[in-house]
Amino acid sequence: MADHSSHPLDTLPFDAVATAGHYGVAGTLGVTARRIDGLSIATLAARKGDDDALAEAVRGALGLELPRASRAVFAGARTLIGTAPGRWLALSGLDRDIAGTLRAALGPLAAITDQSDAVVTLDLTGPKVADTLAKGALIDLDPRVFLPGMAATTVLAHIGITLWRREEATWRLLVARSFEAALLRFLVSSAAEYGFELDDRG
Amino acid sequence: MRIPCPYCGERDAHEFSYLGDATLTRPDPAAPDAPDRFFDYVYLRDNPAGAHQEWWYHAYGCRQWVKVERNTLTHAIAGARLARDARDAAGDAAGNVPGDAP
Ligand SMILES: [Zn+2]
Repeated sequence: MADHSSHPLDTLPFDAVATAGHYGVAGTLGVTARRIDGLSIATLAARKGDDDALAEAVRGALGLELPRASRAVFAGARTLIGTAPGRWLALSGLDRDIAGTLRAALGPLAAITDQSDAVVTLDLTGPKVADTLAKGALIDLDPRVFLPGMAATTVLAHIGITLWRREEATWRLLVARSFEAALLRFLVSSAAEYGFELDDRG
Repeated sequence: MRIPCPYCGERDAHEFSYLGDATLTRPDPAAPDAPDRFFDYVYLRDNPAGAHQEWWYHAYGCRQWVKVERNTLTHAIAGARLARDARDAAGDAAGNVPGDAP
Protein backbone atom coordinates (compact mmCIF):
# COMPACT_ATOMS: atom_id res chain seq x y z
CA MET A 1 0.00 0.00 0.00
CA ALA A 2 1.36 3.36 -0.96
CA ASP A 3 2.30 5.78 1.74
CA HIS A 4 -0.12 8.58 0.92
CA SER A 5 1.49 10.93 3.40
CA SER A 6 4.45 11.31 1.06
CA HIS A 7 2.90 11.15 -2.39
CA PRO A 8 4.98 13.25 -4.82
CA LEU A 9 1.91 15.12 -6.06
CA ASP A 10 1.41 16.54 -2.55
CA THR A 11 4.26 18.94 -3.07
CA LEU A 12 3.32 19.93 -6.63
CA PRO A 13 1.15 23.03 -6.94
CA PHE A 14 -1.65 22.80 -9.52
CA ASP A 15 -0.90 26.21 -10.95
CA ALA A 16 2.82 25.93 -11.58
CA VAL A 17 5.12 23.84 -13.74
CA ALA A 18 6.98 21.19 -11.73
CA THR A 19 10.49 22.18 -10.78
CA ALA A 20 13.61 20.14 -11.46
CA GLY A 21 14.36 17.36 -9.08
CA HIS A 22 13.85 13.73 -8.17
CA TYR A 23 10.31 12.51 -7.54
CA GLY A 24 8.93 9.28 -6.17
CA VAL A 25 10.96 6.26 -5.17
CA ALA A 26 14.44 7.28 -4.05
CA GLY A 27 17.59 5.57 -5.20
CA THR A 28 16.28 4.39 -8.59
CA LEU A 29 15.75 6.11 -11.91
CA GLY A 30 13.07 4.69 -14.20
CA VAL A 31 12.36 7.79 -16.24
CA THR A 32 14.16 11.05 -16.87
CA ALA A 33 12.31 13.95 -18.52
CA ARG A 34 14.34 16.77 -19.92
CA ARG A 35 12.86 19.94 -21.34
CA ILE A 36 14.58 20.80 -24.61
CA ASP A 37 14.88 24.56 -24.89
CA GLY A 38 16.04 26.54 -27.87
CA LEU A 39 14.48 24.42 -30.60
CA SER A 40 13.04 26.25 -33.56
CA ILE A 41 9.75 24.62 -34.53
CA ALA A 42 7.32 25.15 -37.40
CA THR A 43 4.34 23.48 -39.00
CA LEU A 44 4.38 22.91 -42.71
CA ALA A 45 1.18 22.48 -44.73
CA ALA A 46 1.36 21.62 -48.43
CA ARG A 47 -0.67 23.80 -50.69
CA LYS A 48 -2.67 21.99 -53.32
CA GLY A 49 -0.45 21.30 -56.24
CA ASP A 50 2.92 19.86 -56.75
CA ASP A 51 3.80 17.37 -54.00
CA ASP A 52 6.96 16.27 -55.79
CA ALA A 53 8.23 19.84 -56.04
CA LEU A 54 7.57 20.32 -52.32
CA ALA A 55 9.42 17.12 -51.42
CA GLU A 56 12.32 18.23 -53.63
CA ALA A 57 12.47 21.68 -52.04
CA VAL A 58 12.38 20.25 -48.51
CA ARG A 59 15.13 17.80 -49.44
CA GLY A 60 17.23 20.74 -50.63
CA ALA A 61 16.53 22.91 -47.58
CA LEU A 62 16.80 20.38 -44.75
CA GLY A 63 18.43 17.30 -46.24
CA LEU A 64 15.37 15.30 -45.19
CA GLU A 65 12.78 13.24 -47.03
CA LEU A 66 9.18 14.31 -46.26
CA PRO A 67 7.59 11.32 -44.51
CA ARG A 68 4.38 10.22 -46.27
CA ALA A 69 3.06 8.66 -43.08
CA SER A 70 3.01 9.24 -39.34
CA ARG A 71 6.76 8.87 -38.97
CA ALA A 72 9.76 10.90 -37.84
CA VAL A 73 12.94 11.35 -39.87
CA PHE A 74 16.18 12.85 -38.61
CA ALA A 75 19.26 14.48 -40.05
CA GLY A 76 21.64 15.88 -37.46
CA ALA A 77 19.75 18.39 -35.33
CA ARG A 78 16.79 18.54 -37.72
CA THR A 79 13.63 16.48 -37.45
CA LEU A 80 10.57 16.16 -39.67
CA ILE A 81 7.39 14.48 -38.42
CA GLY A 82 4.31 13.56 -40.41
CA THR A 83 1.20 14.72 -38.54
CA ALA A 84 -1.49 14.46 -41.24
CA PRO A 85 -1.77 14.09 -45.03
CA GLY A 86 0.17 17.05 -46.41
CA ARG A 87 1.17 18.28 -42.94
CA TRP A 88 4.43 18.07 -41.07
CA LEU A 89 6.24 19.39 -38.04
CA ALA A 90 9.78 20.61 -38.50
CA LEU A 91 12.11 20.95 -35.51
CA SER A 92 15.64 22.22 -35.55
CA GLY A 93 18.36 22.78 -33.01
CA LEU A 94 20.50 24.09 -35.84
CA ASP A 95 18.44 26.83 -37.52
CA ARG A 96 17.64 29.91 -35.45
CA ASP A 97 14.44 30.34 -37.45
CA ILE A 98 13.30 27.14 -39.13
CA ALA A 99 10.06 28.82 -40.26
CA GLY A 100 12.08 31.49 -42.07
CA THR A 101 14.42 28.89 -43.56
CA LEU A 102 11.47 26.90 -44.89
CA ARG A 103 9.58 29.93 -46.11
CA ALA A 104 12.60 31.08 -48.11
CA ALA A 105 13.15 27.63 -49.59
CA LEU A 106 9.56 26.57 -50.28
CA GLY A 107 7.96 29.81 -51.40
CA PRO A 108 4.35 29.18 -52.44
CA LEU A 109 4.56 25.37 -52.15
CA ALA A 110 3.56 25.29 -48.47
CA ALA A 111 2.12 27.36 -45.64
CA ILE A 112 4.65 27.69 -42.81
CA THR A 113 3.77 28.68 -39.25
CA ASP A 114 6.26 29.25 -36.44
CA GLN A 115 5.44 27.14 -33.36
CA SER A 116 8.64 27.62 -31.35
CA ASP A 117 6.91 29.26 -28.37
CA ALA A 118 3.60 27.42 -28.72
CA VAL A 119 4.87 24.01 -27.68
CA VAL A 120 7.19 22.46 -25.13
CA THR A 121 9.50 19.63 -26.13
CA LEU A 122 10.32 16.90 -23.63
CA ASP A 123 12.92 14.17 -23.99
CA LEU A 124 12.03 11.00 -22.10
CA THR A 125 14.70 8.43 -21.39
CA GLY A 126 15.09 5.47 -19.10
CA PRO A 127 13.95 1.85 -18.85
CA LYS A 128 10.39 2.69 -17.72
CA VAL A 129 9.31 5.27 -20.34
CA ALA A 130 6.90 2.93 -22.13
CA ASP A 131 5.38 1.69 -18.87
CA THR A 132 4.85 5.27 -17.73
CA LEU A 133 3.30 6.45 -20.98
CA ALA A 134 1.04 3.39 -21.11
CA LYS A 135 -0.79 4.68 -18.04
CA GLY A 136 -2.19 7.60 -20.02
CA ALA A 137 -2.03 6.54 -23.65
CA LEU A 138 -4.78 5.23 -25.93
CA ILE A 139 -2.36 3.60 -28.38
CA ASP A 140 0.02 0.67 -28.08
CA LEU A 141 3.40 2.06 -27.02
CA ASP A 142 5.02 -1.29 -26.33
CA PRO A 143 8.65 -0.82 -27.45
CA ARG A 144 8.23 -3.85 -29.75
CA VAL A 145 5.29 -2.14 -31.49
CA PHE A 146 6.10 1.56 -31.39
CA LEU A 147 9.52 1.36 -32.97
CA PRO A 148 12.22 4.03 -33.34
CA GLY A 149 11.18 6.38 -36.13
CA MET A 150 7.48 5.97 -35.45
CA ALA A 151 5.41 9.00 -34.53
CA ALA A 152 1.86 9.59 -33.34
CA THR A 153 -0.32 12.60 -32.81
CA THR A 154 -2.59 11.36 -30.07
CA VAL A 155 -3.78 11.77 -26.48
CA LEU A 156 -1.81 11.29 -23.27
CA ALA A 157 -3.73 11.68 -20.01
CA HIS A 158 -6.47 13.50 -21.97
CA ILE A 159 -3.91 15.95 -23.32
CA GLY A 160 -3.14 16.24 -27.03
CA ILE A 161 0.49 15.45 -27.85
CA THR A 162 2.76 14.52 -30.72
CA LEU A 163 5.04 11.69 -29.66
CA TRP A 164 7.89 10.02 -31.47
CA ARG A 165 10.60 7.56 -30.66
CA ARG A 166 13.92 9.04 -31.62
CA GLU A 167 16.15 6.16 -30.73
CA GLU A 168 15.88 2.83 -28.97
CA ALA A 169 15.94 4.52 -25.54
CA THR A 170 14.87 8.09 -26.35
CA TRP A 171 11.29 9.19 -26.71
CA ARG A 172 10.35 12.76 -27.40
CA LEU A 173 7.03 14.55 -27.17
CA LEU A 174 5.53 17.92 -27.95
CA VAL A 175 2.75 19.42 -25.88
CA ALA A 176 1.05 22.80 -26.05
CA ARG A 177 2.84 25.10 -23.59
CA SER A 178 -0.34 25.78 -21.61
CA PHE A 179 -0.64 22.05 -20.89
CA GLU A 180 2.93 21.62 -19.67
CA ALA A 181 2.06 21.76 -15.97
CA ALA A 182 -0.74 19.20 -16.35
CA LEU A 183 1.40 16.85 -18.43
CA LEU A 184 4.26 17.02 -15.93
CA ARG A 185 1.84 16.19 -13.12
CA PHE A 186 0.90 13.08 -15.07
CA LEU A 187 4.55 12.16 -15.57
CA VAL A 188 5.44 12.77 -11.92
CA SER A 189 2.56 10.69 -10.60
CA SER A 190 2.88 7.92 -13.19
CA ALA A 191 6.66 7.53 -13.01
CA ALA A 192 6.93 7.99 -9.22
CA GLU A 193 6.90 4.24 -8.58
CA TYR A 194 9.92 3.81 -10.88
CA GLY A 195 11.82 6.91 -9.69
CA PHE A 196 11.44 10.04 -11.81
CA GLU A 197 13.90 12.80 -12.53
CA LEU A 198 12.86 16.11 -14.02
CA ASP A 199 15.72 18.02 -15.58
CA ASP A 200 14.89 21.49 -16.84
CA ARG A 201 18.36 22.63 -17.71
CA GLY A 202 17.47 22.57 -21.42
CA MET B 1 -14.61 1.07 -30.11
CA ARG B 2 -11.61 1.66 -32.33
CA ILE B 3 -11.68 3.47 -35.65
CA PRO B 4 -9.04 2.66 -38.28
CA CYS B 5 -7.90 6.12 -39.36
CA PRO B 6 -6.36 5.76 -42.83
CA TYR B 7 -3.49 8.05 -41.80
CA CYS B 8 -2.96 7.40 -38.09
CA GLY B 9 -3.92 3.74 -37.84
CA GLU B 10 -6.34 2.19 -35.38
CA ARG B 11 -7.38 4.72 -32.74
CA ASP B 12 -9.72 4.86 -29.79
CA ALA B 13 -13.09 6.45 -30.57
CA HIS B 14 -12.40 9.07 -27.88
CA GLU B 15 -9.92 10.70 -30.25
CA PHE B 16 -12.75 11.40 -32.70
CA SER B 17 -15.87 13.49 -32.72
CA TYR B 18 -18.97 12.33 -34.55
CA LEU B 19 -20.80 14.31 -37.20
CA GLY B 20 -23.33 11.80 -38.51
CA ASP B 21 -24.79 10.39 -41.70
CA ALA B 22 -22.31 10.33 -44.57
CA THR B 23 -24.84 9.22 -47.17
CA LEU B 24 -26.56 12.61 -47.43
CA THR B 25 -25.87 15.19 -50.09
CA ARG B 26 -26.41 18.84 -49.32
CA PRO B 27 -29.18 20.20 -51.57
CA ASP B 28 -28.61 22.99 -54.03
CA PRO B 29 -29.70 26.16 -52.20
CA ALA B 30 -30.56 27.76 -55.56
CA ALA B 31 -33.07 25.03 -56.50
CA PRO B 32 -36.74 26.11 -56.55
CA ASP B 33 -37.69 23.43 -54.01
CA ALA B 34 -34.67 24.15 -51.79
CA PRO B 35 -36.69 24.78 -48.55
CA ASP B 36 -38.35 21.35 -48.76
CA ARG B 37 -35.10 19.65 -49.67
CA PHE B 38 -33.26 21.32 -46.80
CA PHE B 39 -36.01 20.31 -44.37
CA ASP B 40 -35.48 16.69 -45.40
CA TYR B 41 -31.70 17.07 -45.32
CA VAL B 42 -31.54 18.62 -41.87
CA TYR B 43 -34.38 16.92 -39.98
CA LEU B 44 -35.55 13.70 -41.63
CA ARG B 45 -32.98 11.03 -40.88
CA ASP B 46 -33.03 7.29 -41.21
CA ASN B 47 -31.90 5.35 -38.19
CA PRO B 48 -30.52 2.20 -39.77
CA ALA B 49 -29.94 -0.92 -37.71
CA GLY B 50 -26.92 -2.42 -39.40
CA ALA B 51 -24.50 -1.10 -41.99
CA HIS B 52 -24.16 2.68 -42.01
CA GLN B 53 -21.78 5.31 -43.35
CA GLU B 54 -20.75 8.06 -40.99
CA TRP B 55 -18.46 11.06 -40.77
CA TRP B 56 -15.97 11.06 -37.90
CA TYR B 57 -13.49 13.85 -37.28
CA HIS B 58 -10.09 12.76 -35.96
CA ALA B 59 -9.76 15.75 -33.64
CA TYR B 60 -6.91 14.42 -31.48
CA GLY B 61 -4.96 12.92 -34.35
CA CYS B 62 -4.56 14.03 -37.94
CA ARG B 63 -7.56 16.41 -37.83
CA GLN B 64 -9.01 14.86 -40.95
CA TRP B 65 -12.60 13.90 -41.70
CA VAL B 66 -12.97 10.15 -42.07
CA LYS B 67 -15.85 8.35 -43.78
CA VAL B 68 -16.44 5.24 -41.70
CA GLU B 69 -18.54 2.19 -42.57
CA ARG B 70 -19.88 1.07 -39.20
CA ASN B 71 -22.46 -1.51 -38.23
CA THR B 72 -24.72 0.27 -35.76
CA LEU B 73 -25.73 -3.03 -34.14
CA THR B 74 -22.30 -4.55 -33.60
CA HIS B 75 -19.95 -1.56 -33.92
CA ALA B 76 -17.96 -3.63 -36.39
CA ILE B 77 -16.17 -1.32 -38.80
CA ALA B 78 -15.93 -2.51 -42.39
CA GLY B 79 -13.78 0.31 -43.68
CA ALA B 80 -12.67 3.92 -43.42
CA ARG B 81 -11.52 6.44 -45.96
CA LEU B 82 -10.29 9.99 -45.66
CA ALA B 83 -13.00 12.38 -46.82
CA ARG B 84 -10.67 13.77 -49.46
CA ASP B 85 -10.16 10.30 -50.91
CA ALA B 86 -13.84 9.39 -50.61
CA ARG B 87 -14.70 12.51 -52.56
CA ASP B 88 -12.13 11.82 -55.23
CA ALA B 89 -13.07 8.18 -55.62
CA ALA B 90 -15.18 7.16 -58.57
CA GLY B 91 -18.67 6.12 -57.58
CA ASP B 92 -19.08 8.98 -55.14
CA ALA B 93 -19.89 11.50 -57.79
CA ALA B 94 -22.27 13.27 -55.44
CA GLY B 95 -19.12 14.65 -53.88
CA ASN B 96 -20.70 15.03 -50.47
CA VAL B 97 -18.07 15.98 -47.92
CA PRO B 98 -18.52 17.03 -44.30
CA GLY B 99 -17.98 20.68 -45.17
CA ASP B 100 -21.31 20.50 -46.98
CA ALA B 101 -23.14 19.72 -43.76
CA PRO B 102 -25.23 22.44 -42.12
ZN1 LIG C 1 -6.10 10.31 -38.07
